[in-house]
Amino acid sequence: MSPQIENIYNKSAAVFAITGIVNFLLLSYFNKALGLGIFYSALIFLAVFFLCYIVNYKFIESSDTYLFIIPSLLVELGLTMLCRINPDLFKRQLLFYIAGSFLFIFSTLLTKYFIKKINSPMLFFILTFIFLLLPVLFGVERGGARNWILINGYFSFQPSEIAKLFYVFYLASNLREGRIEKLHRLVLEIFSIIVLLILTRDLGGAMLFYLTALFMIFIATSRYDYFLLGFIVIVLLGGASFYRMPYVRARVLAWLDPWQDVPGRGYQIAQSLFAIAQGGFFGTGLGLGHPDYIPAVATDFIFSAFTEEFGFLGGQALILLYFLLVYRGVRISLFSKDPYLSLISAGLTVFFGLQVFTIIGGVIKLIPVTGVTLPFMSYGGSSMVISFTAFGVLNGVWISTRREEVME
Amino acid sequence: MDIYETGGGDGIIKMNNLKKNIKTTFYIFCLLFLSLMSYLTYFQLYERQKLIESSYNRRLWEQESKIKRGTIYDRNGVTLAETIDLGTEKKRIYISGEAFGPLLGYSSMKIGRSGLESALNGELLGIAQKEPLSLLRQKIYGLSQGNDVYLTVDAELQKKAYSLLEGKRGAVVALEPETGAVLIMVSSPGFDSNKVEEQWEKLKGDRGLPLLNRALTGLYPPGSAFKVVTLSGVLENFTGIEKEKFETKGYIKVGGRVIKDDNSIKPGEYSLKEAFAVSSNAIFAGLGLRLGRDKLLKIAGDFGFNSKIPFEMYVKKSQFPGHSLMDSDVQLAEDSIGQGKVLTTPLLMASIAQIIANHGVYHSPYIIDKVKTPLGQVKVNNLRTVRKTVISPQTADIVRDYMVEVVEKGTGKAARMKDIKVAGKTGTAENPHGEPHSWFIGFAPAQDPAIAIAVIVENGGSGGKVAAPIAREIIEYYFKIRNRK
Repeated sequence: MSPQIENIYNKSAAVFAITGIVNFLLLSYFNKALGLGIFYSALIFLAVFFLCYIVNYKFIESSDTYLFIIPSLLVELGLTMLCRINPDLFKRQLLFYIAGSFLFIFSTLLTKYFIKKINSPMLFFILTFIFLLLPVLFGVERGGARNWILINGYFSFQPSEIAKLFYVFYLASNLREGRIEKLHRLVLEIFSIIVLLILTRDLGGAMLFYLTALFMIFIATSRYDYFLLGFIVIVLLGGASFYRMPYVRARVLAWLDPWQDVPGRGYQIAQSLFAIAQGGFFGTGLGLGHPDYIPAVATDFIFSAFTEEFGFLGGQALILLYFLLVYRGVRISLFSKDPYLSLISAGLTVFFGLQVFTIIGGVIKLIPVTGVTLPFMSYGGSSMVISFTAFGVLNGVWISTRREEVME
Repeated sequence: MDIYETGGGDGIIKMNNLKKNIKTTFYIFCLLFLSLMSYLTYFQLYERQKLIESSYNRRLWEQESKIKRGTIYDRNGVTLAETIDLGTEKKRIYISGEAFGPLLGYSSMKIGRSGLESALNGELLGIAQKEPLSLLRQKIYGLSQGNDVYLTVDAELQKKAYSLLEGKRGAVVALEPETGAVLIMVSSPGFDSNKVEEQWEKLKGDRGLPLLNRALTGLYPPGSAFKVVTLSGVLENFTGIEKEKFETKGYIKVGGRVIKDDNSIKPGEYSLKEAFAVSSNAIFAGLGLRLGRDKLLKIAGDFGFNSKIPFEMYVKKSQFPGHSLMDSDVQLAEDSIGQGKVLTTPLLMASIAQIIANHGVYHSPYIIDKVKTPLGQVKVNNLRTVRKTVISPQTADIVRDYMVEVVEKGTGKAARMKDIKVAGKTGTAENPHGEPHSWFIGFAPAQDPAIAIAVIVENGGSGGKVAAPIAREIIEYYFKIRNRK
C-alpha cells in the first residue's frame, strides 16, 4: 500500500471515529437527565483522541495509526452503550480510556527502544507467575472468579490482565530460536500458570492462556503434532471438568439447552439471545432497547446490548472491526524480520483474537459462555489499559520493522 | 522445505516457516470469525422469531404498551373487545360482559393472560407475522396496530345461552354441523373481563370457579348422553341389530353389581330404538358387554376420546378407559352407559352431536373465522380443513332417527319444538359431588341440521328436565334471529 493511500485511509478512519461523537450528543439531548456532563465528557473524549492521534500521526515516525483509531472507535461505541446503561460507569470508563491511550504511546516508545534488549524467558516467567499468584493469595471474588485485587478498598485491578503481556513475552523469548530446548520444562511452566488461573476459578482465562501457548508453539516450531496433542489434552480436561466441576457443568448445560431452565441456569444466555433477537436487522435504535434486562451487561454481555440497539448489521460490523485488528496484528508479525518480535506480535494477536471469539461466540450461544471481557468495549480498567498497551507493543514492533527497512 | 535448505542459512528457513505458520494461524482465525458471522446470520434468519414470541421474553409486555392491541369481533362484526388509546395509556375494553369472560379471558400486565387473549396474543399484537415484506412495511409506516380477529361465535346467541345458565354452574357449546365453527361457547359462572384485575382475589377464591372455561377444561362423566357413541358402535358392528328385541327386568346384574333403569321404564321387551328413546341402562349395559372392550374403545376413540383435540385453545383430553388390571365386566358395563371412568369435555360432546348431524363426518371445531392485518390482508384459519369420517352415513342417519325419537317420545320431550324437528339425547350423570349432572346433546332441524349443541348443568339433576329445555330455548332463539336477518 502506498503511503498516500495509507494517509487517506488513516484520515477517513479518524473522521469516522470522530463522527461517533454524534452518539453522545444525541444521547445527552435525548436523555435530559444525563445533563451536560455527557456533553463535556464527549468533548474530553474528542480532545484525548485528537491529541493521541496527532502524536501518533505526526510525531512518531511510521506509526500504524489504525492500531489506535479502530480501538478508539470500539471504545467510543462501548462508551455509548455504557452511557446509556449506567452514566457512572461511563465516566470511569472515560478515565480508563485516557489512561489507555497514553499507555499506548508509552508502550509504543518503550517497545521501539528496549524490546530487543530484554529477552530472558526466566524473567518473564517469574513476572507472569507473580502476577497470577497475587490473586490466589489476596484475591477477592467478583462474578464467580476470584481474580481481582483490591488496593485500599477502592482501586481494584485484575493482575491476570497484566500477566497476559508477560506471558506472551515469556513464550516468545522461549521459542525465538524456533525450537524447544527442554520440552518437559516448558510444559511444566505453562501448566503451573494454568493451574494458578484455575485456582482463581478464571476458567475462561485459563483456556485463553492455554490455547495461546498452543498457537505460539505451533508458529515457532511448525509442530502440528504438538498442536493436535495439546488440543486433545484440553478436550479431555474439559470433559473431565464437566463431570467434576458443577460450575462448568452448569455453563455447558445452559449452552446446550438454555430453554430448559430459563429462570435458573439459562437466564444469562436467554436474556442475551432475547436482546439480539429483538434487534432484528437494523436494531431498535440507540436508547430504545432493554439492556437493563441483561445481566452483566456492562462487562461480559455488552455485545448483546449493542446488537439489540444497533441491530444484526451493527453486530456484524463490530465483528469485522475486531477482525480488522486481528488482520493488522498478523500483518505486523508477517512483516517483522526478527523472529522474537514476530512471535511477540503473533502471540498478542492470537490472544486478542481468541478472547474476542470466546466472548462473542459465548453471548450468541455458538460456544458456552465464559466470563472474559470484550476488549475495548466491556467496562473495566484493567482490560482497557492492557489492551491498549498490547496494541502499543504491536505498534512498536511495526515501527522498529519499518526502521530496519529504511536503514537497509 | 528442501528448497529453503539449498537456498540459504538456517535462520532464513526458520523465518520462512514462521511466516508460513503465521499465515496458517491467520486462516484459522478467518474461519473462527467467519463462524461468528455465519452463526449470527443463522440466528437472525431461523431462531429469531421463536425468541421474540417466547413467553419468557419480557420485551413482549414492553411492546404491548406501545402497540394498539387488535380488536376481537364476533361473526357478525359485533365488537367484543377493543383497545382504546387514552393518550397516556391504552385501555382494553370488553363490551361483551360476563357471557364472554371465560372465553375471551383477559390480558393484564399484573395477572397475565388467559383465554383467547392469551391464545391469540401473537396475532393481536401483530408480532406473529412471518413475511419479511409486511414486517418491513410495518417498520416503515411505524405501524403500532395489531391484527383484528373475527370469531365464529354469535354474540347474541352467546348472551342468550349465558342468561339461561344464570345462577347455575355449567357450559353450553354449539357448533355449525357442516363446518365445525363454534357458534356458542359459554361457561357459567362467568366474569366481566373489565373488572378481573380489581376482583382478582375474589375470582380466584370463588368456589364456582368462574375463571375456568368449562367448555374446554371441564371434565365430566357424560352419563346416558354417551349412549350415542355406544349405539353407533353397536350399529357399525352388528348388522341388522335394529330389528332385534331386547328384554329388561328394570335392572341388570353384572358380576355382583346391579345397574338399574330409571324408575319410569317398565320391565319388558324393547326394540333398540325404544330402548334408546327411554334410555334403558340395563339394555345398553348389556349391549356394551356384547360389543366388548376393544370395539367400544375403538368407537370412542373415533369420536375423539383419548386424543388431543386440535383447537385454538388448550382442550383437556377426554377419557375412555382402555384395558387395565382393574378391567372387568362391571367396568365395561358402566363405561358403556357413560358412567364409570368415562370423562368428557362439553366441547367433545358438541362434536359428537355434530358428527351425527353431519352424516358421520367430523369437522374439527374452530373459533377463529379470520385474522385481518392493519394493511387489510386476511389470513384464514387452517383448522377449517381438518375433517374425518367417523361412522358410515347409514349408521349416522339411523342414530339421527333414534335421536329424533328421543325428543318426540322419549326422555328429551322437553326439547321438542312446534315447527322444527329436534334430534337429541339426554344424560343424567351420577357423580361424587352431589346431584347428577344434567346433559343434553342434539341438533336441529333433524333433516337439515344448522346447529349442533351440547348443554351441561352441573348437579342440575335430570337431563330431560334441566338441560333439554335450555337447549330448546337456545335453538328457538337461534332460528328466531336467523329468520330476522
